[in-house]
Amino acid sequence: MSYIVATEGLTKRYGTRTVVEDLNLRIPEGCVYGFLGPNGSGKSTTMKMLLSLIQPTNGEVQVMGQPMTRATRRQLLAGIGSLIESPPGYAHLTGAENMRLIQRLLGLNQQQIDFAVHTVRLQDQMDKKVRNYSLGMKQRLGIALALARQPRLLILDEPTNGLDPAGIDEIRTLLRRLANDGVTVMVSSHLLGEIDKTAHMLGILSQGRMIFQGSRAELMTASAPDVIITCSDPRTAVAKLTSFNGRMTDAGEVAVPALDDRQTAGAIAGLVHEGIGIFGVRRDEQTLEDVFMHLTAGGGL
Amino acid sequence: MNARAMVNEFAKMRHLGVGLVALVMVLAVLGLSLFTLISSPSFDPDSEEAWNALLAGMSLAIPMVSPLLIAVLASRQTDIEHQGNGWLLQAASGLTPGAVCRAKAVALGVVVTVATVGVSLLALLVGRLLAGITAPVPLGHWAGFTACMLVVNLVLLALHILISAKLENQLVALGIGVIGTLIAVFAKGLPEVFAHVTPWGYYSLAEAADYAGDEIVALPLSYPSIAALAVIGAALFLVITARFDRQEA
Repeated sequence: MSYIVATEGLTKRYGTRTVVEDLNLRIPEGCVYGFLGPNGSGKSTTMKMLLSLIQPTNGEVQVMGQPMTRATRRQLLAGIGSLIESPPGYAHLTGAENMRLIQRLLGLNQQQIDFAVHTVRLQDQMDKKVRNYSLGMKQRLGIALALARQPRLLILDEPTNGLDPAGIDEIRTLLRRLANDGVTVMVSSHLLGEIDKTAHMLGILSQGRMIFQGSRAELMTASAPDVIITCSDPRTAVAKLTSFNGRMTDAGEVAVPALDDRQTAGAIAGLVHEGIGIFGVRRDEQTLEDVFMHLTAGGGL
Repeated sequence: MNARAMVNEFAKMRHLGVGLVALVMVLAVLGLSLFTLISSPSFDPDSEEAWNALLAGMSLAIPMVSPLLIAVLASRQTDIEHQGNGWLLQAASGLTPGAVCRAKAVALGVVVTVATVGVSLLALLVGRLLAGITAPVPLGHWAGFTACMLVVNLVLLALHILISAKLENQLVALGIGVIGTLIAVFAKGLPEVFAHVTPWGYYSLAEAADYAGDEIVALPLSYPSIAALAVIGAALFLVITARFDRQEA
């Protein structure tokens, strides 16, 4: 698989405080990569290191097959659009004047500007001063400023922050459309629900460390759901399954965490041997949100 | 110097009132200079020293007006980067904060140069046409005075761009401008050594004329001191903006 972004042991320390530790990020080309983690988990710092806005303490960043350093950053940044922290835009200028600034700075043609503006559907608002924009319009202008260079990689730091549900949905649709057009999108959020339906790949960061990286299906597999046993004598069953951390549920069933298929078969055989009638055995239904919360141990979300 | 970044700085001046502030600077200096001229009891438009009265007026008016208005210009042009997340936007496009500051210094430097040279030329016109001074213009002294004031103004502009870039609270930057005005006005009453300590003090070293008893006489300009200010100011600005280039976002 070809990766548009790959990091090796990426680490950032401020004094004795480690913000990002030993991160091995792998972003396949052409996907939407959801970069998740609670607030303060190191997402923005990681994104800034990818853009060479912050220098790593250890480790290295490869973007589009080249190391991202101070020497290569200018050339590489021509192919990377980004929206970091709050959306950019000079409030005293109109949307069109803001776009002209980035056009002049990067030597872009008018077609590229028009394409970016139409992509975020802001063409009817370009003569308005940015101070009169809503937050959603500012976010879209920020994305247009990032898109104008027609980047291969788009890095968006919490682009749905502060948006209403309609605005969030609009951003989601936009990200899917960009990915379909071949742009690799890395998008961070502290809310799984915001990018769950959009991302092809997920990376989950907790306290500066990558605790999961892979597809949605792999994430579900990585965190095996509880086995739920419906039986004739739940109390005795819980007592027999103490070594597996078995517990009684509100519905009078027995829940046993982190059992693989072989262990499940052994546990059921043990209960049958004790004369407990087994009515049903199933895996608990869990949402991705549950998995995320479990992995980040609550994460202060 | 990134030419595109510099043109962008001119584009950012739209709706910021930069032209208006520069115009106020010109009119205020001109008005104060003329007031000094016409309120001088010894002013005689036909005397050989008539131009000295106008130079004395400008030597007082420029330090009174320029420091604060230069602080306002630098603050308005730099604060937009803090407010609009412009530092990050440009850094992510390959233009580092130090390069942005240098582009601002050049673009605003053009405005300050036009205002300073403009007020000097207008004062000549006003002296000849309105005040009716008939004596020949001391062109060398006049040009030297204008150049010295321009150097001090540009060094202060560079200083204020750095202050406004470093401190997000622009009230502090403007407060420094007010303190600078006080230093600039009162520096000529203090020992010359004191004038060398702060950049605002250099206005007193560029004083072209002043009263000696009842007469207004031309004063020698401290060219070496002003030249040293220009060199040290430019070097420090380049060193500090180079540090901004390496600063992490």
